[in-house]
Parts: sequence; structure tokens; C-alpha cells
Amino acid sequence: MADAASRPEGSRGLFWTTLVIVYAAIMLFPIFWMASMMVKPNDAMFARPTQWLFVPTLDHFSYVIEQGFHWSLLTSFVLCTVSTALVVIIGTPAAYAFARFEMKGKDDLFLFILGSRMAPPVCLVIPFYLIYARVGLLDSFLGLTLAYMTFNLSFYVWVLRSFCRDLPVELEEAAALEGWSKVQIFRRVVFPLLRNGIVATSVLCFIFAWNEFLFAFMLGGKAVTTLPVSIPKLITSQGVRWGEMAVVGMTALIPVLAVVFVLQRHIVRGLTLGAVKG
Amino acid sequence: MASASETMTAAGPQGAGMRERAWYPYLLIAPSMITLVVVSLAPFIYAIYLSFHEAKFGRVRDFVGFDNYMTLLTDERFWNSIGVATTFVFIAVPIEFMLGLIGALVLNQNVRGRSILIPLLFMPTMMAPIVVGLLWKIMLAGSWGFFSYNVLERFNILGETSIFASPDLALYALIFVDIWQWTPFMMLAFFAGLQALPLGPYRAAAVDGANPVQMFFHITLPMMTPLLAVIGLLRFIDAFKVFDTIYILTNGGPGISTETPSILANKMTFEFWNIGEASALAVLVWIAFFAFCSIFYQVAKKRLNAF
Repeated sequence: MADAASRPEGSRGLFWTTLVIVYAAIMLFPIFWMASMMVKPNDAMFARPTQWLFVPTLDHFSYVIEQGFHWSLLTSFVLCTVSTALVVIIGTPAAYAFARFEMKGKDDLFLFILGSRMAPPVCLVIPFYLIYARVGLLDSFLGLTLAYMTFNLSFYVWVLRSFCRDLPVELEEAAALEGWSKVQIFRRVVFPLLRNGIVATSVLCFIFAWNEFLFAFMLGGKAVTTLPVSIPKLITSQGVRWGEMAVVGMTALIPVLAVVFVLQRHIVRGLTLGAVKG
Repeated sequence: MASASETMTAAGPQGAGMRERAWYPYLLIAPSMITLVVVSLAPFIYAIYLSFHEAKFGRVRDFVGFDNYMTLLTDERFWNSIGVATTFVFIAVPIEFMLGLIGALVLNQNVRGRSILIPLLFMPTMMAPIVVGLLWKIMLAGSWGFFSYNVLERFNILGETSIFASPDLALYALIFVDIWQWTPFMMLAFFAGLQALPLGPYRAAAVDGANPVQMFFHITLPMMTPLLAVIGLLRFIDAFKVFDTIYILTNGGPGISTETPSILANKMTFEFWNIGEASALAVLVWIAFFAFCSIFYQVAKKRLNAF
């Protein structure tokens, strides 16, 4: 810990802690407000001045269930799990190889991977849409799983590589001297040490897929509707269903809330593509 | 961090053992690279192909050379979108940067309960951008929105207009939302950087009687510069492609006052079905992004020794 300025002064620590708590409370207030709207009757919702107290209602929940939004939840969950699992299976060996071996044109391959990650999704969705329309992959599980590979596989390989590079190479060398095969070395030496990195990176992939909107919106449809896509669908010609949107929005937040607590500092590493070791 | 492991693989005596079969690493990367060629390179090449053709309503017709590019480059709406994105990025990112740096310095004091506070602070950045848009659609809704009523209207900040009806204000509202969403990222990335700084220079400076401000400008800032540059650049690239929040909050409106290239490309494709021109726009944006990416890569690799 390089807390240059931290000294054992209780009162000053209390001041800074209070400051951060107040800041966090203000910043997170919109989330609390949306949470309250899940059970807020419509007349209280649109009241001027703002109404703080109201008799809670479950109307919004029942409408959401009526519209079959629990299927969107299931779709999102299955889609994100499958696409993340595929990314882990395909991407782990690549991340390891990039961290450990010299290859021709490594820099160019890196730039290609980084480019895949950084490309604006709206640029990709146009060719994807036309290709999918031709081969019949629109509104299909396979189609979206493939499309999610673009940003998640590149992300996974890129970030897991930075975890691989933290592993001491001596263990693998010792195992090689013992005459272990490459597969054995990977399974018994590398994989156990890399497990935390794999979990952290793949959970981030899951969240990116979970949060993804544009691909799901354009390439999905009636059969495959993810949770984020079902939010703007509640802006109907008969009016905006605010309470219902709040219910879906909060549902979409639950895994995110779990992940920020579990992953903590790994998030920084993931979001900076491994440039900062959180 | 210097890649100690990599140099060892290359130079160590056992390095040869790891490299005995030259095809082994290529075998490991093959599935990933083939997948990426299919899902990333192929769409890009197809977009280039489309951009040279007249393609409307999903049907690809004649080869038209650079016509789509010429139409696009002489289209005021295209230049408007570039202007909107530039304004958006050049206002939002510097503010996020400054607030993030200040926040990181505050967090670096002896704040207690960080293991609870840091995850909570991360919420805006990690949640779905579409939900971020929804949150602020609720907070900024005309007349009944919490923020509109209790802050803007009570203190009569905007007068009679509602935010998303005014061409100027709508863009600033989007900038405000982006700042809310991304300041935590900057703050926590910078904080991680501060935590990794060595203590030695601070001890030496304390012996010399330096004050905290001097320490910040002569020790913290110089040591943090590469990291600040890399994070700033990354955020800069990301901010150019914001789509979800703008889509749900304004979808480019009122008029075309908040129409970024992303929103414009989306409208060209799925509203006007002018796919040739949309592809030309996509290709141009893509090339620009690739240039930014290689700059990011070079800076991160050389200055920060990351990657």
C-alpha cells in the first residue's frame, strides 16, 4: 500500500470516509429512485411535487410477467452463459500462447485482436445484419452467440494474457524438465494458477454480454429477446410504461451488483484491458 | 510492468525446451484467430464491399465506386454528426478525467470501508448502458422527473424549456449522463495506479520538508503520467462510440442536434435502408478507430510497459 498521505489520524480518516460516502450516496441515488418505482403506483409516480410516501403496488410486476419478460430473463441468462463458456474454451489456450511463446507477426495479431475489441458495434451490426439475413441467422441463438464473440473473445484473450504473464515461468520449465507433456503442463501447472484470472475475466465477459444492447436489438427478434432489448419495448404508442421499465432495469442490475462486489479490483484490470493491474 | 516472464522464456536455458515444436503456439491460437476472422475481419471486408455498391433495402445492386463516399462526405448531416461527437467527447472526457483524478486522490487518503465503497462506486460504469439511459430518462423526465422537478425547476435553472426538447441542452444532458457513468471508471483506475506507486520518493520528500502539493506535482504526477495517458486515450476512444444511452435518451434528436456517427449509421441502415452509404460511414469510422487503437497500443506498450 503506497498511501503516501495516509497517517494514523482518526479524525481526518473519518472526514475523507464521510466525504466518499456522501458522494457515493448522491451518485447512486438515481438507482434507489428507480428501485422505488418498481412498486410505485402510477399516480404517485407522476405527482408534482415529488411524492416520497406511497402505498406499494405489485401492478408493474404482474404486467411484466404477463408480457412474458421472464422469458427474456431466461434468454439473456442462457445466451450469456453459452457465449461466455465458448469464449473460455476457445480463448484460454490462445491467451496462454500469446503470453508464453514467440510467434511471427505477434504484434500484428495483437493489433487485430485489439481492433476487434474496440470496433464500434454499430459498424459491425450492418454487415452482420445483411449476412445473417442471407444465411437465416437473424433472430437465432447461434447468430447472437457468434456476434458476441467479436467483442468478448478478443477481450478475453487480451486480458487473460496479462494474467498469464504474471505466472512464474520457472514452474513450467521445471515440469518440462521432468518430462511432462505440454498438455500435462497446461492442465496441472498453468490452469490451477490461472483459475482466478479465468474466473475474473470470464465473469466480465458475461457482464458485457448481459449488458449488450445493439446486437441483441438488431440481430434478435421475437424468438430471441434479451433483457436490455425488452426495456425500450416498453416505450409503446399507448405511452411509456415507467414502472415496468424500472422492474426490468432493476432485474438487469442484479448480476452486476453481485459482480462488482465479487470481482472488486479485477474490474479495473479488465476495463483497462490489462493496462492497469487493479 | 516489465515482462520478466517473457524475457525469461526467450533467454533462459530452458526456453529452448518450450519452443521445441514451432507449431504448438499456432495450434493454441488457431481456434481464436479463426473465430475472430469470421466474426470480425469478414464483416469488415463485407462492409468495404457494400460501401462500393449501391445497396438499398437489403438488396445489393451495381458497383458505384466511390459514389457512396462522395455522397457521405458532401452530406451536411455527416459533418454534423462528426461535430456532435467531437463536442461530446471533448467536453465529457476532460471533465471525467479531472473529476476522476480528484476522486482518486480523495480515495487514496485513509478512507475506511473501501471494500464496500469501491464496488458501489463502480455501479454506474458496470451497469448496462441502456439502464443508465433509462435511469436518466426517469430522473430528467419533463415535469415529473425527480431531477427536473426538484433541481432544475425549483431553482429555475432552465426556465420554461424541458431538457430533451432543446437542441443545445439535450447534448449537455447526454454529456452529463456520460460523466455520471464514466467518472467512477477513471477514478478507480487512477486509484489503482496511485496504490501501486512506490513509497520511497515520498519518504525522501517528507525528509526534505516538501508539502503535499509539492509532492503531488513533483512525484505523483510525473510517475502517473503514462497511466493517465493510457486511461485517457482508452476513454477517449470509447466515448466516440457511445450508442445505447444516446439511443434511449434522444435517438439523435431534437432534430439532428445529438446525432453522433453511431446514431446516424444506425438510422441510415435501419430507418432509411441506405446500406451502401451507411457502410461507407462504418468503414470510415472503423479506419479512424483502428488508427486510434494502434496509437493506444503503442503508448500503452512503450510508456506504461503494459501488454
